[in-house]
Amino acid sequence: MKRWILSACFALCAMTAARAYVDDALSFAYEAANPYVKRGFTVREDAWGGDLGVKDQQAVQAQLFRGNEYWFCLGTDVKNAVLSVAVYDAKGQLATAETLKPGRLTAVRVVPARTGTYYAIVTVLKSPEERTGWALVYAYK
Amino acid sequence: MQQTPILKIPTLTWPALAVALVVSAVHPLQANPSPDSVDLAAFPAQSIDEVIVPVPSEVFAVLDKLGSPNWRAEIRESLGQQSGNRAQVALLLGTVIAEGFVAVEAEDPEKVKEIGRRVLTLSKAINVEKAVLERSKSITEKAEVKEWDAVRREFDGALQDVKGAMQELGDEDLAQLVSVGGWIRGTSVLTSIIRKNYTPDAAELLNQPALLDFFSKKLDTLSNKRLAADTQVVRVRKLLASLRPLIEAPEGYAVPLENVQRIHKLTNDLVNQISTREA
Repeated sequence: MKRWILSACFALCAMTAARAYVDDALSFAYEAANPYVKRGFTVREDAWGGDLGVKDQQAVQAQLFRGNEYWFCLGTDVKNAVLSVAVYDAKGQLATAETLKPGRLTAVRVVPARTGTYYAIVTVLKSPEERTGWALVYAYK
Repeated sequence: MQQTPILKIPTLTWPALAVALVVSAVHPLQANPSPDSVDLAAFPAQSIDEVIVPVPSEVFAVLDKLGSPNWRAEIRESLGQQSGNRAQVALLLGTVIAEGFVAVEAEDPEKVKEIGRRVLTLSKAINVEKAVLERSKSITEKAEVKEWDAVRREFDGALQDVKGAMQELGDEDLAQLVSVGGWIRGTSVLTSIIRKNYTPDAAELLNQPALLDFFSKKLDTLSNKRLAADTQVVRVRKLLASLRPLIEAPEGYAVPLENVQRIHKLTNDLVNQISTREA
């Protein structure tokens, strides 16, 4: 029983830690999105996130529509971390029209050539931490 | 800006970066050395999150650019009747929120206000009224002064808030039904417009196979067995299966008109079934 409680505690701590990583990163992702709000983009009220080790990647699938324009904005609260985001179409071809320099905040612009599924791939290029929390939001118009 | 809870918190990693990336060239204009192509099949499944469901505004933003359809003709007179069945109420709530977008496009303040009130009533029936109370008020206020973009954002927000509240209550399954209900009504409207003035550009909006697969997977794996066996849920599952071959267009082709018409009939029939008390 004690072992079970201990395991549950560990699991809860791990979940809380992961959540904290993302919550901290989220404000940075919104900060990355701020310039596009001023340009008439609408930022979705959801966000996606997690934590990754250096050189690790996570893909987020999104349904994008031709005719819209999107900015995918990525942020982390880890000082000196360098993250990148790139968006690929369903065939794995790079679909980004504009890419900001990788960093603590970064973003890519996507003008889909076709309506369909796209993959936003988040990469932690450098980080002083073993695990780096990240959050991704996107804006559209 | 309001922040809603993070939807996904994946902690899985993908250490074999170099193995999966097929680097063909580095884009010369980018500061970011992302490869021009990647082998998505080499990505471990756990490193790919489920598809992000677009908010209705994203679809309507494209429709805005495609012309000026007769939105008033698309508004349903009745917003449906609710039964005591939670699955039916959740699906109906999704369709009513989608109807809100149609009323916004039609710039019909009275209908928008009626829909705002109906969203509140349906939310109350499934115990998430508090989550949308402010949204409902805001919808009414902004419809009154015809701030249509703001009303749209409130409907987007209402959908997210309802789903978020359901997830907090442990009703993840019901939250999925709200999403699916909204998608079905949205697709019914979209196909109605496309079939009346068919263009390949407009029909391309229907190319959503990953989204359809996502909804099918969610409904196939509902944790609440009683909900999974519900007549309405079974109908929705059948609908999604029958839409799958109709909705995907090969590269360079749009969904053909006959498929658009078929999709419209199937989704419209189901919206009508969801909207009846006997559902």
